[in-house]
Amino acid sequence: MTKLKLNRRNFMQLAGAGGAAMAAGAGGSDKALAGSVKLAEGGKDFSPTTGKERKAIPSACWTCVTRDSMIGYVEDGRLKKLEGHPQSIRGLGKLCAKGQAGVNQVYFPDRILYPMQRVGKRGEHKWKRISWDAALDLIASKLKPLRDAGTPELFMYHYGRHKASQAATMYDFMAAYGTGTIGNHTSVCEAGKWVGQESLWGGMYDNWDYDKTDFVVIFGSNQFETHTNHIPTSQRLIRAHVDRGVPIYTFDVRLTNTAAKSTEWVPINVGHDGLVMLSMINVIMNENLYRKDHFKFMRVTKDYHATTAQKIAAVKANVAKYTPEFAEKQSGVPAAKIREIARGFAKAKSACLVTYRGTVMHYHGADQERAAMLLSAITNNLDRAGGRVMGVGAGWKAPSSKKAKVNKALHIKDGFPGEAAYPTHHVSHQVLPLIKDGQHGRPKVYWWSCYNPAFINGNNDEARAILKDESIMPFLITSTIAYDESSQYADLILPDVTYLERWDWEDMVSANQIAEFYIRQPLVKPLGEARCQGDVWPELAKRLGFELAYSSKEDYVRQSCEMTPGVKEAGGFEYMKKHGVWHDPKAKPNYGFYEQKVDVSGDGVIRDDKTGVYWNWKKAGVASAAAAKKKGYLGVKGAKASYVAQDIGGTAYLAYPPNTKFVKAGYLDFYSDNFAKKGFPAFPTYTPIPEHVKMAKDELILTTYKIAVHSHSRTAQCKWLAEIKHDNPGWINPKTAAERGIKDGDKIKVHNEIGEVMTTAHVTEGIIPGIIAISHHLGRQHSGIYGSGKNSPINGGASPDPDVKNMWWKKHGAHPNTVIPNSSDPISGTQRWMDTVVRVSKA
Amino acid sequence: MNKIDKLKISRRDLLTTGTGAAVVGAAAVATPLKSAEAAKAKAPRWGMVMDLRKCIGCRACTVACKAENDVSLGRFRTVVQENTYGKFPNTKKGFLPIMCNHCEGNEKDKIPPCIKECPEFPGERAKFKTPDGKTIRYRKGGTYKRPDGVVLVDTEKCIGCGKCIDACPYGVRSFDPFTKAGKDTSKQAVDKCDLCVHRLDNGLEPSCANTCQGRARIFGDLNDPGSKVAQLVKEHNLADNVLLKEEGTKPHVFYIDPDGALKNVYKKREKGKLDHYVDLIP
Repeated sequence: MTKLKLNRRNFMQLAGAGGAAMAAGAGGSDKALAGSVKLAEGGKDFSPTTGKERKAIPSACWTCVTRDSMIGYVEDGRLKKLEGHPQSIRGLGKLCAKGQAGVNQVYFPDRILYPMQRVGKRGEHKWKRISWDAALDLIASKLKPLRDAGTPELFMYHYGRHKASQAATMYDFMAAYGTGTIGNHTSVCEAGKWVGQESLWGGMYDNWDYDKTDFVVIFGSNQFETHTNHIPTSQRLIRAHVDRGVPIYTFDVRLTNTAAKSTEWVPINVGHDGLVMLSMINVIMNENLYRKDHFKFMRVTKDYHATTAQKIAAVKANVAKYTPEFAEKQSGVPAAKIREIARGFAKAKSACLVTYRGTVMHYHGADQERAAMLLSAITNNLDRAGGRVMGVGAGWKAPSSKKAKVNKALHIKDGFPGEAAYPTHHVSHQVLPLIKDGQHGRPKVYWWSCYNPAFINGNNDEARAILKDESIMPFLITSTIAYDESSQYADLILPDVTYLERWDWEDMVSANQIAEFYIRQPLVKPLGEARCQGDVWPELAKRLGFELAYSSKEDYVRQSCEMTPGVKEAGGFEYMKKHGVWHDPKAKPNYGFYEQKVDVSGDGVIRDDKTGVYWNWKKAGVASAAAAKKKGYLGVKGAKASYVAQDIGGTAYLAYPPNTKFVKAGYLDFYSDNFAKKGFPAFPTYTPIPEHVKMAKDELILTTYKIAVHSHSRTAQCKWLAEIKHDNPGWINPKTAAERGIKDGDKIKVHNEIGEVMTTAHVTEGIIPGIIAISHHLGRQHSGIYGSGKNSPINGGASPDPDVKNMWWKKHGAHPNTVIPNSSDPISGTQRWMDTVVRVSKA
Repeated sequence: MNKIDKLKISRRDLLTTGTGAAVVGAAAVATPLKSAEAAKAKAPRWGMVMDLRKCIGCRACTVACKAENDVSLGRFRTVVQENTYGKFPNTKKGFLPIMCNHCEGNEKDKIPPCIKECPEFPGERAKFKTPDGKTIRYRKGGTYKRPDGVVLVDTEKCIGCGKCIDACPYGVRSFDPFTKAGKDTSKQAVDKCDLCVHRLDNGLEPSCANTCQGRARIFGDLNDPGSKVAQLVKEHNLADNVLLKEEGTKPHVFYIDPDGALKNVYKKREKGKLDHYVDLIP
């Protein structure tokens, strides 16, 4: 808030300064400002060639899930520049390299701007341009018969990056049509993290309160280069570190930018984050450094009514075996270092424990996240100022269309039978293999959008073969801006708009615990015939014989602005178009939701003796109070939806409600019946990764990672990013390299039973021995001239870019996913990106 | 690192000499501005402090600059250098954003080496108006320094000889493949960081500083003792924390550098090459 106020003041000064500049420059050819004039940070922009002020339009980024608020600057109808929105309480006027390069998304020369129908065989790259009317008629001719036959589930829609109104309009259309066969991509991102969290505090999406924290420990997360909420969190973290002296300890297998800028990089062996956390808990418990405050909200044994003393004893007993010496042996982290960081973490007034893909994309990854939550809970750092807090985002109201009478789904979203116990975020990497397998049916129409399944999942060769085979799925549609590894096999390509040409409302989590409402609006008119999906759905609905509650994406956003409390009173759609962002100026940061005391006198509310949960037997649909008492809260299916409160020492607290698929009481379930009954550790536990235990001496672990200037699959065509990062050699420690006779720059082969990748060796002291790390954005088969070195084999209709003649790089990287199998954490279904075993040799 | 010969710029012969003549030419020019006059006229002196503690190597500045100024591929107006050093497990990695230093020039004539080499300097006479209405007279050229310290290229007056590219010890100038030299259209004009002068003159800080999420790039008027840059220079004693101090160019980009990035990270230009000035993530 303080920062925003400051920005506003700067804004005011800008107005004054601008005036001064004009006056000063009026008489001469040079305008200049005197020393006493304070410059504004942003909010305006001017053309360097003509000096004219550029048109400023508030909007929102989409290059990654962070979705920063921003200002787009347009000159003569062409988008020239993007800046962070100076009035956003999330981004504080900042935008990352990927966001800045959004301009390239609109104008890259290989962009597809017209509907294209396949005319050759799949993968032959033979296309003809057709009209939108023809394209929509063709789609309707495929979808209508499925719906009329009562089999709408045979239409599958699969999305990569869809959020907020882009997702909401799509789900609305699909419900109106009747298919629930909708795939996502979270299992290749971080599903294990959410599953671990949901098993405990009932919800998910942790944020870290860096503005207020006193101590930060990071495991397997690269905050300073790339993160799910990068710009809002990263800038706050570096300022906390430098301006307030907040220590940062980063455990990682690589010397990431985050590790490099931390107080200390603590190298750790792959898959041992949870063990080191458990060892830190061991130190904190044994040295009596824990805080009792949060134990009343925790459940650590089967007993729902244990005293705090009993819980403390149980935690101690459970982690007794994880001594720092034991952890050192497995993890490579010195015992003394574990003790030092554990003590610092526990003694700090507040502390953030950060985890991400490095921690959770493993066998039992979800359990590693549970260890992180336990460490936060015993130090009373959950949802408290300066700690690991529950993310706060905007809650929009939106129009809703009439749902279809028949709504069905194919069971192909959650992995093979028995593959994952709690795939609450689905198992998207197994969707194509399951379709091939066929045991749960196959879609007749498969439509994917903002998604590249044959690149972003494991075992790419298999995915391509599935898409190519017309006998598996007869009709493939994709909405895309680029020709890529997947769209090359489509039967129909629909030219999508870029995010810089469309409407949305947005809701990403804030870094300061105050919700920000913001919108995306077109900065330029869609090029060619590119069309937003939110504009396609109403057109398609008409052809299929039903109506939607909105006529276009703009209309959807308009209606949402006019019906969302707060935004509506501020001025609704017109206000949002002008300002782009809104937050309640009176809102206070949201902390400690679990401490809310709840009235349990409502009709039908009873207390369950076994668990101490207050629940509403009427809402739960039980016949009588007596029957409900007899069956108990845990004995009634669906009772979790009627959860009211948790009785803790005679007080009814909101505590941690079971807001997801996990059936649980209101405690943080560090003893999880859910896990126990499926044969997984009930209490956070160190479980070695089976493949790593069996590794031969000459084998290495392959890990993948992200860097600051690329998203996973959507930025290869951005020339300003490709210029900085177009090759991704394998990082390898000098010792590991020497054992294989590999020198820096040597061509190497990374191989295992499913395939091989050729790259070069980047021999560096910035990685632990025994592994090879390859970033996962490059090695594109297709993505246009800048990403793959060759133009797409389709005429998409975009204008040429004269800058192509200045392109100087000849390397385009290698894609590690080719040798990574689709393999799931048996608890959460998360893709095990970090567990693959390979051999590396000089090529 | 890619060799310079892969870059557009490399096709130019950067080693053209002829320095002697140029030095004579420059020496014959009066100092554009006497310091006493400068104090009276209250011109700002723009400069940047790079707080390296806060640079996280994100490259937002590199890309913001590309967009703001439509910088062609194959060359940069600013880059972030990085280097990994030390032995595992005590390995370190540092980041060093570099750009035109908008040098004051040596003690004697206060002309930066790039300008000294410009055959078109000194050129037309120009007036610089300060916001308080005073006028400062100075000379323009193919490349020149404005009284507020911004070193600029006038593409209309540029002859595309490339001598300034060669003369800059920092190697932060390049030929713009899309702009002809105004005075010799058979050649390309020189381009470099101009501190986003089109923003500056409209009361906005440069684009790189605008987007710097760590707020590691701090821009302002060094002549204003109340400005953050002036305060940081004083507080951290940054007068000597500049690139290649021994060149005597008096840079106006200063570095807060507790971890020794100037020593451990800085990759100097090799004579006749610019491959130190390509932003590449390993």
